[in-house]
Amino acid sequence: MKAWQKILAVAVMATIVVVAGTIVYFEYFARRSLRISTTTSLYDTGLLDEVKRQYEATHSVDLNIISAGTGIALQQASSGDADIVLVHSPSQEKTFLTNGYGVCRRIVAYNYFTIVGPSADPAGITGKNATAALKSILAYGRSQTGQVAVWVSRGDNSGTFSKEQSLWRAAGYNQTVIANNSTESWYWTTGSGMADTLNVADQKSAYTLADLGTYLKLSKDGAISLVSIISGGKSLLNVYSVMAVNPAKVSNVSFTDAIDFIKWLVSDTGQQVISNYGKADYGQSLFYGAVQAIKDNSPQPDVSWITSYAYFNGTECPTQYRDDHSELYP
Amino acid sequence: MNPIIEGIIKAFELIFSGDPTVYGIVFRSLFFSGVAAILAALWGTPIAMLLGLRDFRGKSVVKGFFNSLIGMPTVALGLILFLTFSKAGPLGFLGLLYTPGAVMLGEAVLVTPLVISIATTAIEAVDPEMINLAKTLGASESQASITVLKEAINGVVFSDMASFNRAIAELGVALLVGGNIAGLTDVLTTDISKYTQRGGSDLAYAIALSIILMAIVFGINLIIIVARNPKVLATFGRSPQ
Amino acid sequence: MRLAELRNLSKRFGNRAVLDDITLQIDEGEILALLGPNGAGKTTLLKILAFLEKPDSGEVKFQGEAVTEKNAERMRLQSAMVFQRTLFFSTSVYNNVAYGLKMRKLPQNTIKEEVKKALRLVKLEGFEKRSVKKLSGGEQQRVALARALVLKTKLLLLDEPTANLDPKNVQIIEEVIGTINRELKTTMVMATHNMFQAKTLPQRIALMSDGRITEVGVPAEIFARLSRNLASFAAVDNTFTGTARITSAGTTIIDIGNGVQIEAAVQRQGLTSVFVTPQDIIVSKSPVVSSARNVFKGRIVEILDLGSLVKLKVDVGKSFTVQITKQSFSEMQLNLDSWVFLVFKASAVQVI
Repeated sequence: MKAWQKILAVAVMATIVVVAGTIVYFEYFARRSLRISTTTSLYDTGLLDEVKRQYEATHSVDLNIISAGTGIALQQASSGDADIVLVHSPSQEKTFLTNGYGVCRRIVAYNYFTIVGPSADPAGITGKNATAALKSILAYGRSQTGQVAVWVSRGDNSGTFSKEQSLWRAAGYNQTVIANNSTESWYWTTGSGMADTLNVADQKSAYTLADLGTYLKLSKDGAISLVSIISGGKSLLNVYSVMAVNPAKVSNVSFTDAIDFIKWLVSDTGQQVISNYGKADYGQSLFYGAVQAIKDNSPQPDVSWITSYAYFNGTECPTQYRDDHSELYP
Repeated sequence: MNPIIEGIIKAFELIFSGDPTVYGIVFRSLFFSGVAAILAALWGTPIAMLLGLRDFRGKSVVKGFFNSLIGMPTVALGLILFLTFSKAGPLGFLGLLYTPGAVMLGEAVLVTPLVISIATTAIEAVDPEMINLAKTLGASESQASITVLKEAINGVVFSDMASFNRAIAELGVALLVGGNIAGLTDVLTTDISKYTQRGGSDLAYAIALSIILMAIVFGINLIIIVARNPKVLATFGRSPQ
Repeated sequence: MRLAELRNLSKRFGNRAVLDDITLQIDEGEILALLGPNGAGKTTLLKILAFLEKPDSGEVKFQGEAVTEKNAERMRLQSAMVFQRTLFFSTSVYNNVAYGLKMRKLPQNTIKEEVKKALRLVKLEGFEKRSVKKLSGGEQQRVALARALVLKTKLLLLDEPTANLDPKNVQIIEEVIGTINRELKTTMVMATHNMFQAKTLPQRIALMSDGRITEVGVPAEIFARLSRNLASFAAVDNTFTGTARITSAGTTIIDIGNGVQIEAAVQRQGLTSVFVTPQDIIVSKSPVVSSARNVFKGRIVEILDLGSLVKLKVDVGKSFTVQITKQSFSEMQLNLDSWVFLVFKASAVQVI
């Protein structure tokens, strides 16, 4: 046999070894693993690292957490590349359920987005509600000449961005039109993650929409000097839910482990982990546990905002998407 | 404090603390890129031999093809590999996505054009009569091509080092097909990216990891250079002549 | 007994016919010289005999068996070629010389012994561990020779084995060639430019020109007829044709044109061809008073630096090629257009 043929044969064998080795390892040797697809805003706060630590200590399952934008997370789940999704975009979650990809949805946490900006507040948004603030920002932006940044947007398919789009809609504008219009040069788009976008806004002394967790993290470390000007209110509500990928529709997903995880997440233990996270470092929680709040129907008006914003047909999860796991819905 | 200074301090802390997480990340970087470089050498060397030793119609087109693959944007490659390994894709049944195997294979695919390009040039640089010399002394076709390969060994080793360096510095492919899963597929580059994205106090960690990565690459290259020619060490003490 | 046979061989490279209808027999145990200018096809012919190249048409037989693509590899074990340009594996002298033996999978001890013997033969004893790149040109050529000899093949092919070497190395190599042929009865085909070598070493000579073999025969025959074929040898150093007349002293003066008259210690009349080996010519800055009958003054028109040797072309009316050591060259402070005297004895003039 010629020399190069011999080497090629070894090459093919080596490749097969790598592939087979991977398959065999995961089939027989590794612990079972659960693939969780989530959003960058949740992932970057570090909450899920803590969740993973606690869960793996008491369960013989490895949590493999992959972060992408909300849209990508849901798409990957429907291709079968995830077993669980943890996202914060109720409209997209509803589609996920009605298309049959998701089952057993539970709302696990909530907090509020915040509109942050320079402490001088040149657009004068202090004290206004979110929609009024955006109107002022737009007016201020249009009054500026040159390429001055007044608003920085994420412009990716994250939950934060879809919230931003809905706010512009409520204020009476079409976000896409503004973003693509070169004469609206006050509106900047980064196309990247939350930390990145906050950094740009900070450098340019501009306003942006941020999730509380990432904002607190960066400002506490002194990395940015933006202040949180508007927070709270129905329009800035941010609700996180968990869903399992439907084994009937997507093959090769770990369903039993997924249900176990959901049960843990809505249990007292899981909810404690969520609501305690950040208290030590930031002096306040980054997230509120949703389960107890909904059960107690308090605090108000937060809970009624949650049910109005994130419920489908009056429930967290319509019965046809509960997959016989009624125990999840006491 | 200046984040870079913080980063340098943190780098030393991490190295000497014996923190198993950090050692795990370093190990995975070395292991995945090492396997990727080996696979690329195995895939690429026979092709380089064919291109370097044989003449055929369209040879310059094939060579040009591999040379241009070096410039392929890695996120594009990462995306193609992702779609291939995804459960919904053609190789989905292998279940490779988000596994170490995917990172190794992905990086191997990335650096193979580099190996082919450099090794082919090295083989072509060998005197064309070398093959006749080997044959007239009794070598078979196969033995003769191995002899030519040995004559080109400096260039071939260089191609392997270049491919390892490229693989260990790779972010896009490793991130897309590996998913940067803590403890499983995260490597130095993907973690540097993650902590940079998180910002704030995590920047020091990112810088520390960057310093560690550069130190490792420099160290490995130095070891290889000395291993191939121990005399190099002697020159460190002498002043320029 | 015929060792090898070539029948109606032709080979083209692109548009050029490098070999044209070559028919040749090689007898076992003989030394056959291929004599001819550059481009005559000598190297290609040798490569075909080394089974490294295939002819486009015609037949090659070795020991009665036809050589084909399939058995070429096997046949190559019976022949070895030393190339014109020295080529080495980047390793020690030992590893180079041992290469063919390793390919033949001989045991280590045998290899060690054989390499030692081969190096002794070419007078490079103890050179095993040296790096080939650091040797002189002559030493390198001797290593290349040892590398081929150690294989003890039936057929040995040598392409200009002593071209551009200094006299000492030329002598060693010529001796080795003679010894191997005598003691091991190795058949050799060598391509050469060197008239003197062609006269003394081989049993037969084949004259080649433009891809064809024009004559084959023993040296005496060939040289006797050579004047008619002289056009072929324009490339050979110091060959001249002229009119000869015998002097009263019993020597011969040959007028080769442009006022140059060479005195030879033989007796010839009429149209004659002669040559003078470059090594026999002394170069001097002043006319030397000596017994030498031939003294010519001329200008240096070409200089070729060969390391320890310098080859010069001196125009005394006709162009002579001479060689001197580098040291002499610098001591005499020679340059292009320098005037020098060429001095050689009448006995150094060889009549063809």
